[in-house]
Amino acid sequence: MDSQTHKAHRPAQSGAKAEKKKSAKAKGKEKQHGFNEKAFAPKSGRRAERQGRRTAERDQTRLHVPLVDRTPDDQPPPTVVAVVGPPGVGKTTLMKSLIRRYTKQTLNQIHGPVTVVSGKKKRITFVECNNDLNSMIDIAKVADLVLLMIDGSYGFEMETFEFLNILQSHGFPKVIGVLTHLDLIKKAATLRATKKALKKRFWTEIYQGAKLFYLSGVLNGRYPDTEILNLSRFISVMKFRPLVFRNTHPYLLADRFEDLTPREEVRASKGKCDRTVTLYGYLRGTNYRLGTKVHIPGVGDLDVKSVQMLGDPCPLPDADSEKRRKLSEKKKLLIHAPMSDVGGVIYDKDAVYINVPGNFTKGGMDNPGEGEKMVLDLQDVSSTLEDVVAKSQIRLFGSSSRPLSVQAEAGPSRLGSSSDASEASRSEDEDSDNDEEDEAYSGEEDDESGSDDGFSDDDLDIPEDDEAVLGDHGRSAPRTVRRSMQGLSTSGSKRGQVDYAESDSDLGGEDEDDPGLSRHFVRFDDDDDAVDVPSGEEDEDDADVPQWKRNLAEKAQAAFEQSARSRRRKDWTKLIYNSTAPPETILGLDGSGDATSSGAPGMDDEDFFTIKSSAPAKAEEDLDRTKEPVNTDELKEWEDEELLDSIRHLFITGSSSQPAEGVDANGEPYEGMEDGEGFRNGDDEGMENGEGDDGEDHSSLNKDAAALAAKKAELKRKFDEQYDEPDAAKTDFYTEAKETMARQQKLNRAEFEDVLDPEARALLEGYRPGSYIRLELTSVPAEMVENFDPTYPIVVGGLLPSEERFGYVQVRIKRHRWFAKTLKTNDPLILSLGWRRFQTVPIYSLDDHSIRMRMLKYTPEHMHCYATFYGPAALPNTGFCAFNALSRDSPGFRVSATGVVLDIDRSTKIVKKLKLTGVPFKIFKNTAFIKDMFNSALEVAKFEGANIRTVSGIRGQVKKALPKPDGAFRAAFEDKILMSDIVFLRAWYSIQPRKFYNPVTSLLLSKKEDWQGMRLTGQVRREQGMKTPTNVNSIYKPVERPSRRFNPLKVPKKLQATLPYASKPKLMKPQHRATYMQKRAVIMEPEEKKAMALLQQVRALRKDQVVRRREKKEEKRAEHRKKVEKEEAKRSEKEREKKKEHMRAAGIKAKRDADAEGGRSSKRRKV
Amino acid sequence: MAQTPTVLHFSGHQYLRHRLVLGILSGKPVRIDKIRSDDKNPGLRDYEVSFLRLLERITNGTVIEISVTGTTILLKPGIIAGGAIVHDCPLSRAIGYYLEPVIMLAPFAKKPLQLTLRGITTDDNDLSVDIIRTVTLPHMQLFGVSEGLELRIKKRGSPPLGGGEVQFLCPIVKQVKTLNFVDPGKIKRIRGISHAVRVNPQFSNRMIEASRSVLNRYIPDIYLYSDVYKGEDSGKSPGYALSLLAESTTGAMHCSEAMSKPGVPPEDIALQASRALLAEVRRGGCVDRQHQVLVLLMMVLGSEDVGRCRMGEPTARTIQFLRDVKQCFGTAFKIVPADPSDLSTPDLLFSCYGVGYVNANRSLA
Repeated sequence: MDSQTHKAHRPAQSGAKAEKKKSAKAKGKEKQHGFNEKAFAPKSGRRAERQGRRTAERDQTRLHVPLVDRTPDDQPPPTVVAVVGPPGVGKTTLMKSLIRRYTKQTLNQIHGPVTVVSGKKKRITFVECNNDLNSMIDIAKVADLVLLMIDGSYGFEMETFEFLNILQSHGFPKVIGVLTHLDLIKKAATLRATKKALKKRFWTEIYQGAKLFYLSGVLNGRYPDTEILNLSRFISVMKFRPLVFRNTHPYLLADRFEDLTPREEVRASKGKCDRTVTLYGYLRGTNYRLGTKVHIPGVGDLDVKSVQMLGDPCPLPDADSEKRRKLSEKKKLLIHAPMSDVGGVIYDKDAVYINVPGNFTKGGMDNPGEGEKMVLDLQDVSSTLEDVVAKSQIRLFGSSSRPLSVQAEAGPSRLGSSSDASEASRSEDEDSDNDEEDEAYSGEEDDESGSDDGFSDDDLDIPEDDEAVLGDHGRSAPRTVRRSMQGLSTSGSKRGQVDYAESDSDLGGEDEDDPGLSRHFVRFDDDDDAVDVPSGEEDEDDADVPQWKRNLAEKAQAAFEQSARSRRRKDWTKLIYNSTAPPETILGLDGSGDATSSGAPGMDDEDFFTIKSSAPAKAEEDLDRTKEPVNTDELKEWEDEELLDSIRHLFITGSSSQPAEGVDANGEPYEGMEDGEGFRNGDDEGMENGEGDDGEDHSSLNKDAAALAAKKAELKRKFDEQYDEPDAAKTDFYTEAKETMARQQKLNRAEFEDVLDPEARALLEGYRPGSYIRLELTSVPAEMVENFDPTYPIVVGGLLPSEERFGYVQVRIKRHRWFAKTLKTNDPLILSLGWRRFQTVPIYSLDDHSIRMRMLKYTPEHMHCYATFYGPAALPNTGFCAFNALSRDSPGFRVSATGVVLDIDRSTKIVKKLKLTGVPFKIFKNTAFIKDMFNSALEVAKFEGANIRTVSGIRGQVKKALPKPDGAFRAAFEDKILMSDIVFLRAWYSIQPRKFYNPVTSLLLSKKEDWQGMRLTGQVRREQGMKTPTNVNSIYKPVERPSRRFNPLKVPKKLQATLPYASKPKLMKPQHRATYMQKRAVIMEPEEKKAMALLQQVRALRKDQVVRRREKKEEKRAEHRKKVEKEEAKRSEKEREKKKEHMRAAGIKAKRDADAEGGRSSKRRKV
Repeated sequence: MAQTPTVLHFSGHQYLRHRLVLGILSGKPVRIDKIRSDDKNPGLRDYEVSFLRLLERITNGTVIEISVTGTTILLKPGIIAGGAIVHDCPLSRAIGYYLEPVIMLAPFAKKPLQLTLRGITTDDNDLSVDIIRTVTLPHMQLFGVSEGLELRIKKRGSPPLGGGEVQFLCPIVKQVKTLNFVDPGKIKRIRGISHAVRVNPQFSNRMIEASRSVLNRYIPDIYLYSDVYKGEDSGKSPGYALSLLAESTTGAMHCSEAMSKPGVPPEDIALQASRALLAEVRRGGCVDRQHQVLVLLMMVLGSEDVGRCRMGEPTARTIQFLRDVKQCFGTAFKIVPADPSDLSTPDLLFSCYGVGYVNANRSLA
């Protein structure tokens, strides 16, 4: 059957069909599935214009304010990817899956950050965030990307929204939503609906189109590999916009934490003494400068004792490492997670720690493995390494019978610094090789130890445990092995100034200990010696360059002139920063100025000594002056015509050549001239610079050539630019700004590249982001060490100088619309501002007509207001969020307010209204005497001229105090006031926020969520069962308002008589007697009677009818009521059902929370 | 809970001004001791006390403690407030003494500064107000402090009685720009201001003539202004002076000045100023000696980028300043010869990585 072949189809070559096809092809049918330009071509000019405008607008919306990205491109720090979500949502599973995806390793326990290499140029630090609000705040400040996990079967939880709001106020890093537990939803339609609903909510929270991932069920304790692969792809292509706060602060997410306090000290103080700890991590943000204070949220501000740059524990693959890579995947050293105990080998500044899984005693092992035996042997060492080295003998081959004999002075301890360095680097190489081996080895070990959890738990490096073990079983704790890092040591003698030294003699001097200030000068003088002619002759002997011998005298002359003018080239960096000599001594002038240099040439040596002697003989006081005193003798030299001509080349008109000066100025174009100068001087340098040998000369020549080439290239580029694109020069603002930034960044990278000594470089620019550093912190509270929990992130944030200070901070604040209560002035509030979390007491205020800041008792609804509090300063424009309580049991939404810093000051101008009231006790025409407003004449004097007002609105002024009674005064009003009026004075009383600052020290607690700040008085009372004391005067009483009796207006008769009629009071007495109609009785006629009776009957009938109708209506109403009641009952039944349902759901959640509390082991079973 | 920040410790009366400025800018308390402790007239001088007063007025919340003997001061800096301030300077120092440090502080104030200073406008120790107006302020423009930066010379006052008045207006900035100034260029023009108060107004013209006799050989683009102040505006004492400034094609400026001395004819004063200018030009660099400190400070305070500037040899003040900057901001300069291949120029290239100083005092409200 297989062998049967079908006849292949042969398309018709001619005929109708072929014709048809051909014509179709000619029409361009296959073009259809491509892009049809015509479809989008504008039909009319107006439409074209509109389209053009729209594209232009869209282009503009794409643009953002250009921000400088401070992270280096070549060695960026790992991206921080935080996995956040409520407990039981699958955070750890996701972490494990992702780590497995990148490293092919499965971690059993994940504590703290885990760094993996994710690509050629990319590393990722994964960190899991627990459900504590404090952790969420800290993570929000350092995460570059947040994987926000949402339980699809449950929906959003309050913590998710809280976290999003925290993110928002701290710069909003990128967020990817991850929906899990979707397999719990069985029905496809429900699943679709749930996805849609959750997505919609997620998009409104972040932005339309925010990425939301769906993870289906768990397989083998991991999410499906394909889904994780997709997620990892999304992570890898993520672009990060620099956040302003992080781009101005150095920070690190500590991935390792060690206590360095001497054990004895800890023991003596019963563990209460302040500790010295080291924190390790990748530096992020900006450069870390020496002397910068750091803040660890949850601990406080700390001083950094020392910083070391360590070798990268999780290096990016380079060409070299790729070459060495084995096929075996296990050999991949791509993971760094010291807190999770991966690999078992940890490198420190000068030590390697090997963690051996499980603990064993020396004698207690029958058959120790090879590695264990090695470690045990190490413990047996009785002599120090130095002794061993001294005693050691080297055999060239294993089979050789005699060791090499070594001269005493060539011993290893006497190696020169340069050879030392190479040695170190070699040993480092070896080390790193070994490391790989170890890593792989212990990785396997790890797998084994995974089965017996008990062992690995013991293995966590808790210092106390180690100590205990030490006492019983000898050493199983981390052992220090000497391991030198090249050039990173802090020892003073090795302070490699190699790069500064210009001459060999300098180098020789460096190897000795720092001789202090006097030695510096001596050495410096040696340098000067070297310039002199004799040394030049020496060189001449060595170097057989015949050129030099020609016109030697001339050149010597030239050299002298130059040295007389410019003195000797000094190593200024060294002189300024590494010596303590007073500046005058460094300059080599103490009033004498250039006079010495213009004197005899050989006086250079004496020059130095004369300064010393002249120093004390200072009669006149030296003022702190900017202008240096004019030395008239010095200026005399300018009478010399030659000298005047010699600086002609410094002016644009300078065209006369000056061969003696060695400066070419032949009227060539500016650039060309400089080049000529450069070449000529290259020669000069070679000659006068005694120690400059041949190679240097060549190199300088080469350098000049290179400079020339660079200049030419630049010119060519400029020309090309202008020729090719005349418009290229005037680009828009955006590109221009970007280009400027790029140029500056390039300069930043290049400028200090040639400073090889890492320490000198750190002094110049600090530690660069991306480097793995070790911070040694002193006087750290002991509780931080004792209550250390790796699941709580340790963030180390660098503080700017202005942020160390305290003051009154004014912020713009808005109560969060989801927060249930209003905020009250002087109630404590927990702020997350900058790196810090602290509790403080704000005063709310509003700007009152730009005249004053008026205190508000409560925050306004739906409106921003100002708040002023005492606390650490933060730069204006820093965002913050506020909380009333951080604990989990506080109900509802916990983010109580958000805002931004506006102003920092040392005083505040908030006022609140104060009304002083008084009553008149004597009234003249427009003048009244007022009492009860003040207590003394002095107080009145203070308020003289103040505006006052009565309740009825009559305005007046305080005039002068009265002698009696105390505090009474005379006041003038615009009208006569009444005795019953109350007079009040509106004043403004300035208030200051209380100086209360209480950092949230959550990391110092054993139960980190239970941090308790200052409580409200009411809370304290409630907790202590106390009653609120009541002021009798504050109790509300029924208001008694006695009715006022007004006397009748009496117009004197005389006056009445003269009044015009219209103004006369028209008062009439009430009628006393009955009126005429009242007095008469009525008797009706018979017809009238009849009519009356009929009317009465009609009325009676009507009444009866109404009554009956009402009865009927009442009946109907009762019926209706019955019906309604029935319906009501039905509805309430339904309501009860609903409530029951709701409570059931709440119960499930509570149970889950309880489960999460109970421990990670008893996790919810997945269906 | 407020922790005590590290105190910067200095000793000696020298360099008092820039040390206090550094303290205020960095917000660290400054303690200066041994102020003329060996002198037969120990302690602070009147002008130093006056300067401290001025600082107190410019700032808000500054606490200054002076020991009983006056040999030790402790300054706990507050914030730089700015605003309208009037200050009478004692006659022992010129206005330049006070104005120089104020120029360093003013861009970082909360409100634009309008400072009126009264006293001596020109003397031998400090920069005269002419130099400050024509040279120092343009240096600030290199760092983006330009709009509204002005020095108005209302009245001139010569020593010993003074009677001058200047008004200094300074805007505030968020952050100073990074400087990259490595090309000194060539001198393209020379400007100068000569003034003579309470003496024969011809003195001013005589100085101009004499100065031209020296400088005319280099470039024709020389304008020397004769600044006339009459009556009340001319101060209380007679005096005359000439200040010169040479500007290069790239904007580098060098300046010099000379002040009248009793018994010296104005021609000699002018010659002295002109020669001093030539000496200054010969020293090279993009910044002259008097302004090294200002430029270096602004470079340190720049954004977190590398700033570069070519200068001549540092002066003693500059050297001490660099050391103090290191102590204060923890940053150092890289100082290398500007042209390693060229030994003829003593020029140095100062480069540093700015600390990213942001004006935290600036208010957004």
